[in-house]
Amino acid sequence: MADRIGHVTWRGPLVEGSGTIDGVGSGAFGPLDVTWASRAEDPNGRTSPEELLAAAHAACFSMALAHALAQAGTPAAKLETSATVTFVPGTGITKVALTVRGTVPGLDEAGFREKAEDAKVGCPVSRALAAVDEITLEASL
Amino acid sequence: MPRIVREAAVDWKGSTARGAGVVEAASSGAFALPVTLASRVAGPEGKTSPEELLAAAHAACFVTSLGSELARAGTPPVRMHVHCRVTMDEVEGKGHLIVASAITTRGVVPGADRASFAQAAEAADAGCPFSSLIKASATVTIDATLESEGGR
Repeated sequence: MADRIGHVTWRGPLVEGSGTIDGVGSGAFGPLDVTWASRAEDPNGRTSPEELLAAAHAACFSMALAHALAQAGTPAAKLETSATVTFVPGTGITKVALTVRGTVPGLDEAGFREKAEDAKVGCPVSRALAAVDEITLEASL
Repeated sequence: MPRIVREAAVDWKGSTARGAGVVEAASSGAFALPVTLASRVAGPEGKTSPEELLAAAHAACFVTSLGSELARAGTPPVRMHVHCRVTMDEVEGKGHLIVASAITTRGVVPGADRASFAQAAEAADAGCPFSSLIKASATVTIDATLESEGGR
């Protein structure tokens, strides 16, 4: 079992106020500023829940795929993953688009796509986000 | 309705067990952080993990929902603090799942009482897009405490 922690403080109202991700349990990052404008309009160098979610999903997917490739006897030399999260205020998080490019000696395109599809379905973050309408995947070598 | 799009990227080298990755905030450039399997499932040792990023995302999402609910109730907050703990566990027959996200919040909210703050926190949980999503595999719990101004 692994517990992971994040802390946030917000001051003032939503639109005019501002928040800080004070820190996380590991100490790996923080403080990071967050504002409603940086979430709903241009980021201007500030992160947002959707960007953090994209980071969590990309990292989780990459680990699941690297694990599956190693187990199949064709470990990846390198995986480059990006996750794009779409948020519609009032509706919710409507889409996550995963893109992965891999360097995998000894594996063909079809084999890579199959492992990537399994990682998309099986990684713990994907399973926690099973209620998202659309999770797409583009995988290429 | 505006569509808001945020992007992140990971570069991973080598196998899951012995390799390592860097996770980067591609939309804002706000962070670029190392991740490893060991820092995810064992002690973090200063490195982040998908679950920690989720905890930060959930806390940041919940705090904006709570602020909206309090404003809607006519008691806008002066200050809110949110702490979020995300738990991943191995569930028999299902493998690794994100099983819990526990939110603890303290607020300085002039005009609110314990009951109205608790009610706003429940409404924030219902309205926070992240809370709704993660319920596919996790139990979300909310513990809300009102503080007096100048309190802790």
